[in-house]
Amino acid sequence: MLSINNLRKHFGSVKALDDVSLEVGADTIVGLIGPNGSGKTTLFNVVSGFYEKDGGEIYFNGERIDGLPPNKIAKKGLCRTFQVSKAPEKLTVLENMLLAAKHQIGEGPFSALFLRGRVRKAEEANLDRALELLDMLQLSKLKNDYAGDLSGGQKKLLSLGRIFMLEPDMILLDEPTAGVNPTLRVQLMEAIQKLQKMEKKSFFIIEHSMKVISGICDRVYVLNFGQKIAEGTPEEIQKNEQVLEAYLGGA
Amino acid sequence: MTIVNFIIYLMTMMGIYSLLAMSLNFQVGVTGLINFGQVAFFCIGSYTSALLVVKAGMPIFVGFLGAMALSGIMGYVMSIPTKSLKTDYWAIATLASGEIIRLIALNEDWLTAGPFGVMGIPQILKGIISKDAYPFFYLLFVVACIGVVYFLLNLLTNSPFGRNLKAVRDEEELCLSLGKNIQNLKLKSMVVAGMVAGLAGALFTFYIAYISPENFRPIETFLMWAMIIVGGRGNHAGAIVGAVVIQLFNVSTRFLAGYVPLSTESMGSLRMFIIGLLIIVFLLYRPEGLIKEKKKIYK
Repeated sequence: MLSINNLRKHFGSVKALDDVSLEVGADTIVGLIGPNGSGKTTLFNVVSGFYEKDGGEIYFNGERIDGLPPNKIAKKGLCRTFQVSKAPEKLTVLENMLLAAKHQIGEGPFSALFLRGRVRKAEEANLDRALELLDMLQLSKLKNDYAGDLSGGQKKLLSLGRIFMLEPDMILLDEPTAGVNPTLRVQLMEAIQKLQKMEKKSFFIIEHSMKVISGICDRVYVLNFGQKIAEGTPEEIQKNEQVLEAYLGGA
Repeated sequence: MTIVNFIIYLMTMMGIYSLLAMSLNFQVGVTGLINFGQVAFFCIGSYTSALLVVKAGMPIFVGFLGAMALSGIMGYVMSIPTKSLKTDYWAIATLASGEIIRLIALNEDWLTAGPFGVMGIPQILKGIISKDAYPFFYLLFVVACIGVVYFLLNLLTNSPFGRNLKAVRDEEELCLSLGKNIQNLKLKSMVVAGMVAGLAGALFTFYIAYISPENFRPIETFLMWAMIIVGGRGNHAGAIVGAVVIQLFNVSTRFLAGYVPLSTESMGSLRMFIIGLLIIVFLLYRPEGLIKEKKKIYK
């Protein structure tokens, strides 16, 4: 579904991504781990179009997507969240959810003024889905609060909800559970698993916690210094010596 | 000029500036586009309507439509550099575009009569309404225009379109990641705002009946900014309140003229001094303005 071939990205002389190739199949949850500065977020930024690549190819659903602007890539059904959550601060939690909704009418001035009936209908349908998702993410009570007033963890949850509103085919999650309390973290991971089963979405997840990753991922890639050093099932990765060395510094 | 006539004049100008402030608020307060060349729309709207009627002999309503159309096109043109210029650099570019439009009006004699300005502009329904009632009639006309624009801008701001614009204002990158074409959204916002300011320009033209490049100095943009800073951004009522307050201060020196021992020139400076002070006080103690942006609450 998503295939990355020999992807390269340099920042000056630093090779942030050095000939990285990987595949994320349809209907799977794939993890991406690695120490700080190993290139995980850079990989996401290049794949989602926020950074320009320095070499290599990216295909999504058989279509070449490298070089496209981020909004076009998102429209193709490949969507991402950010490591440091972004939320329009003067929009409420619910407005944030509606903002992302896939099927919207009235996004331009003409339809907003002249198709008011259809706009209202679409908004109502989106509102139902938004409330359902907020309920699952335990954000219902905050639905009318400004997103700018949320805590870091709550913003993480909101960005997860928002991306589900978009109904993409594949979701890139950049540390979705950092700053979220442990109980909720487990629930979040279960929610991701549930969504994956129900709606057949693919997930590509950056995580630091091995525990979180091994619980839900079908397959894991490991990056270090911009290079892919391992790939396999979570069990295989946990036993891989190179990985342990990268993580524990050879201790 | 009797006091009643003066008050009607003052209120009419407040009304025209309300439209200009609402237009600026749509760009700055709703979309986050820092436009320092707002007067360009005003100038284009005024000149287009004047020239269409005086030079081309068109009916007045065509003057209005032409003013709105051309100002809207100007909005489109001004939105193009947002593609490659970041907020602050784009703001500088807009400052220049305001001056460019004024300098064109000043120098293209064959079209605009240059510094002499356009004279002999007819007035709407002049023959039908008596001379005494005319200023009041025109004030009502301006108020009606404000009502319609206020209603439409509120509809837009509360629609999915307005939600997109606010999201662009607060978090551009997020909008990109959600598949929004932010360039296109900025363009639409500028065109809408341009049309509103163009309407204000036409209203000004047919009220004053004589326009010259002197009416469109950069200081006008400054006044419109003062209005949305004082009134509050992100809601259109704030723009109207701000226009009323600033216009009141702007003409206050006429009231003071008899009581303060200052020359006419000093009074002009005093006026700007007062407005500048007002801006500083608001930015320090009430940065959100007199009227806050409204939160949209779902049951």
